[in-house]
Amino acid sequence: MVELTAGRYVAQFAVAMLATISFSVTFRVPLRHYLACGLTGAVGWLAYILCAECLALSAPVATLIAALPLTACARLFAIQRKAPITLFLLCGIFPLVPGAGIYYTAYYFLRNDRTLFVNRGVETLKTAVALALGIALVCSVPLKRQKPHP
Amino acid sequence: MTQAAHPLPGRGGDAGADRALDLVVGAGQTLLENGGEVFRAQQTMEIMAQSLQVRDFNVYVLTNGIFASARSADGAPLSRVRHVPLVSIHLGRVEAVNELSREVAAGQLDAAAAWQRLEEARALDPTTVRAERIACVAGCACFSFLFGGTLPEVLTAAVAGLLESLLCQQFGRWRINRIFTNIVAAWLSTLLALGVRTLLPALNVDTATIGALMVLTPGVALTMGIRDILNADYLSGAIRLLDAVLVAGSLACGVALAWLTARYAGGLVW
Repeated sequence: MVELTAGRYVAQFAVAMLATISFSVTFRVPLRHYLACGLTGAVGWLAYILCAECLALSAPVATLIAALPLTACARLFAIQRKAPITLFLLCGIFPLVPGAGIYYTAYYFLRNDRTLFVNRGVETLKTAVALALGIALVCSVPLKRQKPHP
Repeated sequence: MTQAAHPLPGRGGDAGADRALDLVVGAGQTLLENGGEVFRAQQTMEIMAQSLQVRDFNVYVLTNGIFASARSADGAPLSRVRHVPLVSIHLGRVEAVNELSREVAAGQLDAAAAWQRLEEARALDPTTVRAERIACVAGCACFSFLFGGTLPEVLTAAVAGLLESLLCQQFGRWRINRIFTNIVAAWLSTLLALGVRTLLPALNVDTATIGALMVLTPGVALTMGIRDILNADYLSGAIRLLDAVLVAGSLACGVALAWLTARYAGGLVW
């Protein structure tokens, strides 16, 4: 049973990595950064599902927590590869961004289902704010050495 | 260009300051057009202007515009305004401009060499149409799996992704409005999922559709908009949020239209 669960997480990690790499291609990241982008996205997604499933946290809280290792990864790669952090961040947050939430919000709005519209809308906004907060939090941690160029 | 206003272009620092300002604003514009954040464009331009010794450089950057002013060596005012209406994300160019600004700041590049590098960065185009198409298909399939889809949903999303990328590329070539493109793409993907469901009743249409539409949803725009607002850049953030709302609305419109189409065409019950 435990092995089955572990296998499931490995599969999720791998698929999240593949998804992030697909988006790096769409966002035209140079070839040499594909793996770093993929890892950033996969780490974020793994943290998210672990928080959401094992700790039973709500989506916004799980997103906030997942944004921390994700942004740390992106920052690490940015320093190591001397590339702007945007490269890894923009691709890496893709699995976490509430794209589905925005879509459902608009969909329920059109279907005139007010309760679901408000529920979804509030949750989407919370998730997006949590993600942005998580990013801002890690990005503002000062480093000992001189600040990497933007 | 205000070349005529200068008594002797090329003499003294006049033409030099003019050209340096063009370079700085050009770099900022390239960053903004290709998905760089507002504060990054602002910071990069300020650093470059300082390294190139542009006097009294001031710049205000929005999501879709740049306003910059400076003074030439003899004190004549210079200004540049750039409108950046269309953002298509190309992070390779962002990286190239970043590298350029780093080298300018380190004093390794003179103005002429920097101009050449900027032109190179703007011409950068590493992925092909086919790679992009494959990436779109793979991305759609992966997302429908991450959202809990099984094999039928994943395959449906992959086919929908292929349709969608073909459509977006074709409509882009015809210069059709982005909103309309989104509506048609969402309509087509949902119709495909509904069509598959008539053959395979176990298919979860929602999972397949959202997997396919994830590529088009404005999640990144929403998050970046909120980041801008957290940076106290309210106007830029609001522009991005409005954009996100509009795109989400057009996608939902397409999906709702597809359900209506299916209902009238095949007696489906909503």
